[in-house]
Order: sequence, then structure tokens, then C-alpha cells
Amino acid sequence: MLAEKHADRINKIFAKYPDKRSGVMDLLYLAQEEYGWLTEDALREVADLVDIDPTQAHSIAGFYTMFSEKPKGKYWLQVCTDLPCALRGADTFYRELCAYLGVEDGGTTDDGLFTVEQVMCLAACDRAPMMQCNFHFHEHLTIEAAKELIEKLRVQAQPETQEDGGA
Amino acid sequence: MTKTATIMIDDQTYQVPDGINLVDAAKLHGITIPVFCYHPKMESVGMCRMCLVELGSISVNRDTGEPDLNDDGSPVVRWFPKLQTACTQTVRDGTVVRTSTAQVLEARDNILEFILTSHPLDCPICDKGGECPLQNLTMAYGPGRSNFIYDDKLHLDKHVPLGELIYLDRERCIQCARCTRFCDELVGDDVLAFHERGRSLQIVTISDPPFDTKFSGNTTDICPVGALTTADFRFGARPWELDEVPTICPHCPVGCNLSASTRIDRDFGGKKMIKRIMPRQNELVNEIWTCDKGRFGHHHSRAADRLQHPMMRQGGEWVKIDWATAYHQIASKLKKYADSAGFLAGPTLSNEDLWELRQLAELTGDTPRLGVWPAAMTGAGVVAQVGIGVNTRLQDVGPETAILVIASDLEEEAPIWWLQIKQAADRGAAVVVANARETKLDRVTHTVVHYDYGDAVAVLNSFAARARSRRKTSKALLDNRVDGYDDLAAGLKGTRVPFADAADVLLDAENVIVFAGAEGLTLDQHRELMQAAANLLIITGHVGRQNNGLVPVWPGANVQGALDIGFSPETTASLIDEPPAMWFIGGADPAADDSQAAHVLANAEFVVVGAQFMTATAAQADIILPRQSFAEREGTYTNGMRRVQRFYAAQGPVGDALPDWTIYAQIGARLKGPKPPVSAAAVMRAITQHVPRYAGMGYSSLAHVEAQFPDVGGDDLYYGGTAYANHGGLGVQWATDAEDDSARLVVRPAQIEKPEKSGDLCIVPVRLLYDRGPLFEPSDIMHQRVPEPYLELNSQDAAHLSIADGDRVMVTAGEIQIETAARVNGHAPEGVVLWPRRLAHGPAPALFSACSVQKIEE
Repeated sequence: MLAEKHADRINKIFAKYPDKRSGVMDLLYLAQEEYGWLTEDALREVADLVDIDPTQAHSIAGFYTMFSEKPKGKYWLQVCTDLPCALRGADTFYRELCAYLGVEDGGTTDDGLFTVEQVMCLAACDRAPMMQCNFHFHEHLTIEAAKELIEKLRVQAQPETQEDGGA
Repeated sequence: MTKTATIMIDDQTYQVPDGINLVDAAKLHGITIPVFCYHPKMESVGMCRMCLVELGSISVNRDTGEPDLNDDGSPVVRWFPKLQTACTQTVRDGTVVRTSTAQVLEARDNILEFILTSHPLDCPICDKGGECPLQNLTMAYGPGRSNFIYDDKLHLDKHVPLGELIYLDRERCIQCARCTRFCDELVGDDVLAFHERGRSLQIVTISDPPFDTKFSGNTTDICPVGALTTADFRFGARPWELDEVPTICPHCPVGCNLSASTRIDRDFGGKKMIKRIMPRQNELVNEIWTCDKGRFGHHHSRAADRLQHPMMRQGGEWVKIDWATAYHQIASKLKKYADSAGFLAGPTLSNEDLWELRQLAELTGDTPRLGVWPAAMTGAGVVAQVGIGVNTRLQDVGPETAILVIASDLEEEAPIWWLQIKQAADRGAAVVVANARETKLDRVTHTVVHYDYGDAVAVLNSFAARARSRRKTSKALLDNRVDGYDDLAAGLKGTRVPFADAADVLLDAENVIVFAGAEGLTLDQHRELMQAAANLLIITGHVGRQNNGLVPVWPGANVQGALDIGFSPETTASLIDEPPAMWFIGGADPAADDSQAAHVLANAEFVVVGAQFMTATAAQADIILPRQSFAEREGTYTNGMRRVQRFYAAQGPVGDALPDWTIYAQIGARLKGPKPPVSAAAVMRAITQHVPRYAGMGYSSLAHVEAQFPDVGGDDLYYGGTAYANHGGLGVQWATDAEDDSARLVVRPAQIEKPEKSGDLCIVPVRLLYDRGPLFEPSDIMHQRVPEPYLELNSQDAAHLSIADGDRVMVTAGEIQIETAARVNGHAPEGVVLWPRRLAHGPAPALFSACSVQKIEE
């Protein structure tokens, strides 16, 4: 449970705002970090903490693309394919990335390591093709650079340890 | 008078109230600006773009303040370069709008084409078809064909249950957000929300239970498409087959105006049948809302186990008899027992029934004993003096008004009043909630008083004392019209004021309304509570005016009517203390509510019971009279704000059941009484001649209708719903003494008698909206909302008894013993066990009876 495990962080979050409900986004991030994705139980837990109806937490999680309500891989690759990025080849890059990982648009690799997804503008149009891997930017990408990154991550993930999970 | 603004619509000049919404202003003059997302009961959001118009304002010379003129003398209009959404504009002097230019028509056409890109156009199987704003507006303004490819339509789930009452069709939803805004803004139960965005936007709920609000049905009325439908009505009938019959809700003292949508139906043996219940617009009562109990709680009128024939007990068996025999038997018994008969009227008897019951009773003796059930609340005299001012509109109440709710869990007891008070608080009205425990109304205000059970009267007395010490009394009233003030003042001297802040909230307001219930009060204490409320209102001058006065939260739909016609709860108490040999009971079920009453009835010599069902009381009868439900007969109910309202016969008859007034008059005729009246209208005529407060009423004046604003029920194409239009009457509210300048008002000290609480734990019965009462239980559709029987314990008491939330417990209170679930959620005060009435079958123990609670080990 978040309340027990992260009591200090939760209190710090609440201290930032005049009322509890304003802390909902921070707590959803915390829950996502803890559980990997926002399960319905996690939404209810957060709703309970900030004293709103779980439907509202669900709604917020659904609106923002940086929250995931579906299980996803250990590494979450989000590629911007909006028009400016596409003009710099982001759409081709995305197709090649999917092909390299052997997944459909939005899919997760069989080993559960990578989830790929197209997203709206990440504010790095001039450095496209770019992607976000667990909220870290990788810019000026080529498919070769991406492959290199993926293999590096694969190696990194090899000795599976408990502390390493999530972000 | 409100200020008016001069505006121009389509080159014509109109006068409209200043500052109202442009869509409403146009509608006032019969001009249509079509909308989907806008609704006059909600804040505008400008989401759907359907209301685009050309908007401008008359140019005014800044130096002279005069309008600039063109060469031809017409005023110069400064137009916005692009179309504007009318729903986000309020009118002011000089607003100019064009609603039917080519540009506007093209915009509407385009918006409709856009909205229809993924609408399934399944109107032939859609419940809304025939009263659907999208259908209407598409026919009126839409394109005949689409540029989009039909196969590209997004196909989504069509039967998504948002709980068991409301179904969502995701394809049909046009994302206007009326439903989410209703829940969020108006009710404050934010249990519906949008999920995802763009083309994936959809309505969701994951509250527990899903769509957890008592007002969910209203979202189906305001949905401008067939996306939200009720489980009760979906696929039940087409709107154009339905005959709308005006009726009044029989469940609570609000008296919501309803429409029963009826048709001749094979499911009801080819008789007229209620297919759905819809709110009927009455801006003075329920506006355009009703709660789910009122909407879905009509099934009792057609339940298979309705009593069909008069029956008599012969040798322990029920024997079917005809009406003539029943009348004859009862008449001879009444002759025999004469003034040792007692009469008891239930809360769903109409005024006509009550009047004829009184006539019958008066044939048995000069001073018949007329009791009302439930006998939980009293104060007819106080209401007659200081009841809420005539023509009060709760929806207008704002910052100048303070509302006190005391001894009532209002959402459970009168949901629409709760909703209106919640909205008043949103508009800035000061709400003070005084209860012995936390209730949902506490959420809407910062001024919450939690007193100990038994201290309600003391709280009101302290407010009155504060009024005196702060010199907030009304000198004009006290000098000229009030009797007994010296005694009251003497009695208030030295009263402690523990909740001074709450008192000041009330005392500093221009208007004060008090809603008084009876939770945790005996009948004697309740009399004092009503007097204490009257004292406070009278000495501060908050009587006899609109938006001022007292509203009793009666335990039933027509308790006010019963009191008006001469039935009293004090008599009921005396009937139980000194029981009559013969009981004549109409529409009441005392044996199910009260163990002492059950005991007394079991020992009576002869019992006659008029009932719809074989209730615990009917089971004790010697003769049972099947009474008609509110659905199949006409009559009038008087609501908690003293508004006498008519309901009409909507549904075909069940068995041989008759309206109560007919039964009583027929028995009376066999006791040398007058010839039975021929109609309910004739009974009402007699009432108007003999009950002074009802003088001048009559079925035609009660049926009087005036145009309602906002106009959502007319022939327009865009608010939808064929049921809102009020053709049945707005009712008539009788005036109190306070409104008559020549009438004296009486105050007297209200006594504080704290009842003896026996034992460490004692029972406080509370009322729930969703219970297992005989008129609600037959509505199967609501069963999931009626909680399993439970008792609520304080966490300290629970810890002491090693009981956790959800444990099974055995509760013993006197002779009553039940096994039930325990709830421990912080609502019950220490030492108190809250016992929801009518959740478990069987009577609740008396208030403050000692009880023991034991955990049942698994």
C-alpha cells in the first residue's frame, strides 16, 4: 500500500497544495512508479488518499498519455509522430522500431521488456526523430541508435533485481 | 423588478431580463437557437458549437453615450468577425444577434455533419427516437447527406451498464457532458467522468456501487441523444405511443411533480400501464428533477401480490367477500363499538381519503379519535403559523439567505430538498447543518453543529438566546403581533450558547429557512423542537415572507394533509397507550414499524385495515379492504411546503381495489351518513367548504398552469423529453398566519427534556431512502441499492465489543432480537447504535431503548 510504504513522500506531496485533491497527479505518478501501471485498485487507492471519487482518478489517468492504465513493459518507449516530427522521419522511424521489436503499434514485446507507443508532441520537434524512454528523452535518433539503446537496455535488464523495477 | 435589457434578434428589438443567457433570451420570444451541450439548469461550456450565431453590439459614442448611426439612421453594429457560441453569452443592452443568416445555417449544418460522423443513426431501435434533440435538430438543420464514408464510423459498445439502473450506448454519445456536469456541478456526486480524449472520449464510472448517486435517472432526461437510458424503460415503448398522465410522487414530503408515461400494454392484461416515471416541470417544487426512488419506485402499483378483493377472517382463514358484505360488516361493527373505535391514517392517503375517513369517524361519535401514522412528528399549529412563505423558490435562494437543517438526514428523507439546498450553498447561501451525527449535507457547508442526541431543542433555544443578546430580534413584529414573548424571554435568560458561530450565520442573514426533522426525538421532544424553531423564526422576524419560515421534513407524502384535515400524532400515541376496542386503519402499517403498536393490534377486538399488500398490520386484521395505489386513482397530496397538488388516474385498476374515499363514504352511507360523493372533485369541494386553509381551492384551481422558466417542456426541438410539460397543474400553497398581518403569533418557552438513555448502548432509529417498505420493495430494479440490514456502531464502542466493520452481530433490544451486519464507519456517536428503519422486516425498537450487541463468531 502506498500510504504505508511512501508515507513521507505522500505527506510532502500534500504539503505542497492547499487541499488534498490537488495532489492527485503526483500520487498517480507515485502509484504508477510503484505498480508499473495504474491498476483499478491503484486508482481507488489514490482516490481514497486524496478523497475524491475513484471515477475522477480514472478520468485523469485516462486523459494524460503519461499515465498508463494498461500493463506495459519495463521500458516504455513513446515516439512522437506529430506532423513536425513526421517531416523529419519520425513515422518511418516508428515503423522500423516496431519491426525491430516485432510488435504492433502500442504493443509489448513477448519478454515484457518494451512497450512502444505513438504520442502527441513532446516539445522536441527540432530534435526529431525522438522518443521518450520511461520519461527520459532520446533525441536525433536513427534506427541504428535506437537499436543500440534497446540492446543496451536488454543487457541492463538481464540480472533482474527487485530494486530495479519501474523507472 | 429585475432590470431589462434591449436587444436585437434578427433585426427585431426585444426586451429581456438583463444578464440572462442569450439562448434563454431568444427562447423567451420564441426564437430558436439550437443547442446540445447547453442546459439552462447548468453552467454553459460552449462545447458542442451548435448554438453558433452572428453576434455584435451596438456601437456607442464614448463622449456622448449615444449610439453611432449609419447614414440611413440605423445604429452602427460592431460584429465579431467570426460566429460566436450563443450559450456562452449573457445579454446586455445593445446585444445584437442574427440567428438565421446563411452563415449561421451553414455552420449548424456543418456541426451536425460533424456530430453525426460516428453517430450510429439507429433511431428505429433507440428509446430516445421521437423525443430526441439530435434527431429533431438533424431534421430541422442538418445535412441530408454526409461527406464522410459510412463504413468509417467508429463502432463502440452499445450496452454498457453504468450500474444496474442506467445503460450507456457509447456510439450514440455526442460528448456534450451534460450528464457529467449534472453529477459534478448540480449534485456534487462526481461519479461520472470522461475518460481518454479526442475521438476516444467516453463516459465512465468506477464508483462503488457504480453511478453512485440518488439522482442518476435525471441524466437520462437531459441526455440530448439516446446514449443514456434507464434499465426500467429501455426497449419498453416508443415515446409517441405514450400518454403522459400528471401525477405526484407518493414517497416523500417534497411532492415531486411527475409524469406517468402510460400506454395500453399486454404486460398488464391490456390495461393502461405506467411504462416510466418522468419529472414534470414545476419550478416551485422539484424544478425538472426527481430522485431515483420516485422514478423507479412505481412498481408497487402493479405488483403481483397486490390485494385484489375484500377479505374477511373466518376461523383463522381468509375468505374473499364482496364489497357490499364488507361495507355491511364494518358498518355494523362501527355501530357496535361506536366511540370505542380508533382511526389511523397512513401517509399516502390523499386529502379526499382523509376527509371521508373523518366523515365516517364522526358518524361513530362526536369526538372520534383520529390518529396519523407514522406518529413521529407533530407541529400542525406551528406550521400553520410560521410555515415557509408562499411562493418560496429554493432555486432562487442565494447569499442573502441562511438555511438551517436540524435533526434530519435530508438526502435520505427528502432528496430533492437536499439537492436544492446543495445548489443554494453553491450560489452562496449560508447553510447550517445541525445533527447528532455526520450526514451528507455536512459536505456543502463549513457550519456544522454536532450536538448530542437529545440536545436539538437546546441548540435552537441557544440560537434564540443569541438573537436576543445580539439584539437581532424584530421589534416591529414583537411589539405588534406576538403573544407570550415575555415568558419566552424569561426562559431564555442565561441560556448558554455553545455554537455561537452557527447562530450568527443565521442571525446575520436577511432570510432564514429552517428544515426540521425528527431524528433522535420523541414525539414530545419534537413538539418542543418545532416550537423552538418557531420561536427563533418569529422573534427574528423570519416569517410570513418568501424564502423564510419553517419546513417540516414529514415522514411521508401527505402527513401535512392529514394534519390539516384533523388527524394528529398525539392521538396516535394515545391510541397506543389506551387502545380502542376496534381499529380502523387506512394505508398505514404500524405493526411493521412499532412493536408496541403490533402488540396492541394483536389484542384488539376488531381490526379493519385498508391496504395494498398483506402487510404485518393487514395480517392482524379481521377485514381487509384492498385500496388503490396512487397510480390508478385521482386525488390530492399536500407537500411539506403546504402545496396542495393534484394527481390523476394513470393506470388501469387492479382487482376490485377502490380508492379509500369511496370505501369510507360507502361505509358511512350504511351508518345513516350522506349519499357517497360521485367524484374526488366533489370530496375536494367539501374540504374547501369545511377546512378554512383549503377555501378557494378546487380541482380546477389546482390544475392551473403557468408558463415555466426556463422553458424546457415546450414544443421546442432541443431540450427533448415529452414529459416535462406540466399539464396537470402547479398546485396551490396555503398561506400561514404569519402572512396575514392581522393574525397573532404565539411563542412560548420550548422545554428541554433530555430523555433517559438506558444502558451503555442505546438505539436511535434513522430513516433511509432505499428501504424495504411495502411501497418500495416491489420495485425489483432498485434491489441492489437497498442495503442488506445493518446497524451502525461507533468505532470506540465497536472496539470495546471487538466488532469490526462488516462483522455479523446479534442485537437484542427488549423483545426485539435480530442478526444483522455491523457497520463501523465513524458516523454513529459514542453510545449510540443507529438502526435504519425498514431495512430488516420487523419493527425498530423505540428511540433510546437499551440494547446489547454481540459479535457472532463464524
